[in-house]
Amino acid sequence: MTTPAEEGPRRPPADGPSRPEDGPPATTGGAAGQAHRAERLLRWYPASWRDRYGAEFTELLIADLAERPRDWRRSADVARSGVLARLGAAGLASHPAGTARAGLATLACACAVFLTFAAAMWAQLAIGWQWAPPATRATRVAMIVMSGAMLLLAVLAVLAVIPAGWAGLRAIRHRRGRDLRGPALLAGAGALVLAVGGRHFGNGWPGTGGHWWPHQGLVPGGVAAFGWASTLSVTSYWAHPAALASFPAAEVAWMVVSPAAICCLVTGTIRLLRRLELSPRAIRFESWVGGAAGLAMTAFLAGALSWVTEGESGPRGLFQTGLVDAACLAVMGLALVTGGRALLLAWRAAGAGTGWGTASR
Amino acid sequence: MSPADGYALSSLGRSAGPAALILSSLAGGAKHGYALTKDIEEFAGVRLAPGTLYEALSRLDSQGLIEALDSDDRRRPYRLTAAGAVALQSHLRAQRQLADVGLSRLGRLADNRGAT
Repeated sequence: MTTPAEEGPRRPPADGPSRPEDGPPATTGGAAGQAHRAERLLRWYPASWRDRYGAEFTELLIADLAERPRDWRRSADVARSGVLARLGAAGLASHPAGTARAGLATLACACAVFLTFAAAMWAQLAIGWQWAPPATRATRVAMIVMSGAMLLLAVLAVLAVIPAGWAGLRAIRHRRGRDLRGPALLAGAGALVLAVGGRHFGNGWPGTGGHWWPHQGLVPGGVAAFGWASTLSVTSYWAHPAALASFPAAEVAWMVVSPAAICCLVTGTIRLLRRLELSPRAIRFESWVGGAAGLAMTAFLAGALSWVTEGESGPRGLFQTGLVDAACLAVMGLALVTGGRALLLAWRAAGAGTGWGTASR
Repeated sequence: MSPADGYALSSLGRSAGPAALILSSLAGGAKHGYALTKDIEEFAGVRLAPGTLYEALSRLDSQGLIEALDSDDRRRPYRLTAAGAVALQSHLRAQRQLADVGLSRLGRLADNRGAT
């Protein structure tokens, strides 16, 4: 871009409000050559960009071509900008808002991994408590902390969906919803399969299905059974094929389908997050929710660690820990660290975007 | 103004300069791409190339500093949002402070040279 000094003296701004209708005459049949050249230049940009800005950008190019028919700098500028847009669409070049979105998407992925293993561990204890309470105070406290953290995570998940949902509705209203359709369908299909399958197999669990608060359980039986059924695949039975072979075929099939459904739900959600145009305020809010989720996950991990190290097997071995629980702890720890780093990335990016005021002081 | 009030134009990197020009132009009313080019050329003496203009426009749009208006034809007008107005004001204040300091020091320098 040339500087004003190179272009000549500055002139004062024009008085009065400007008119959006200002501009060259609309494209006519005689300008077909310019329209063709504009269409060719537009090909530098990715499809998603063309869908959003293609029509108006073509009009601008046609007007510019009419004023300056031969200008290699225009072609070079469009090519440079188009390549950058393609790199941006591929996630290889980004500005702070994009980096913040990427950080939030990674955080969502880490939360999903954490929640899957956390729900498997928590459901095991919750179902055990349906039959008999833990014998030791440490396990009771651990279970209460884990349940509180799960409840907080559920509330935060709902809070996180609100601005994202609003941004999605805004995109649809501005006719930019086409890119969101695929990820939304993927996430919706995953959630539907998980909900229906979890409910179906949860109802088949003896002593919990259909009863809201049997015995003295810490959480409603239906919730515990749903948690157990939706995370049925997180089990050490995979290492014991002989025992697994004795399971009903439908249950084994569900153990394969449910992780696929979780993957669809997480992948769809992350793609949506990457494509949504979140406002700076929404990104800050999502970062805040992510920070609160990090605290809840840390609390859950502390409770789970307390239970595993306590090593209480409980009445009839209901709360017995095994290698799979240690593996769950390791995975959750890793997810927490990854999520924390992603949250820092999102915070820093949002901070870089909001650091404008600091330059003025 | 707190840093949380808006996005920094400096965070837009190479688009920061064009972004300031676009926001300043839209402060005078809604405009489509071509009208923006002509207005900026008129008040700043700079002609933004189409690729540069839309690179900055798309970033400002994605950050909520400007918004597209509905249009019957293919030329879509944009207008400044409240967040965009806050961001522009903060940026221009910083620029004015910079200009004041620079001019003041230049004045003192000229005085010192005159004295010697």
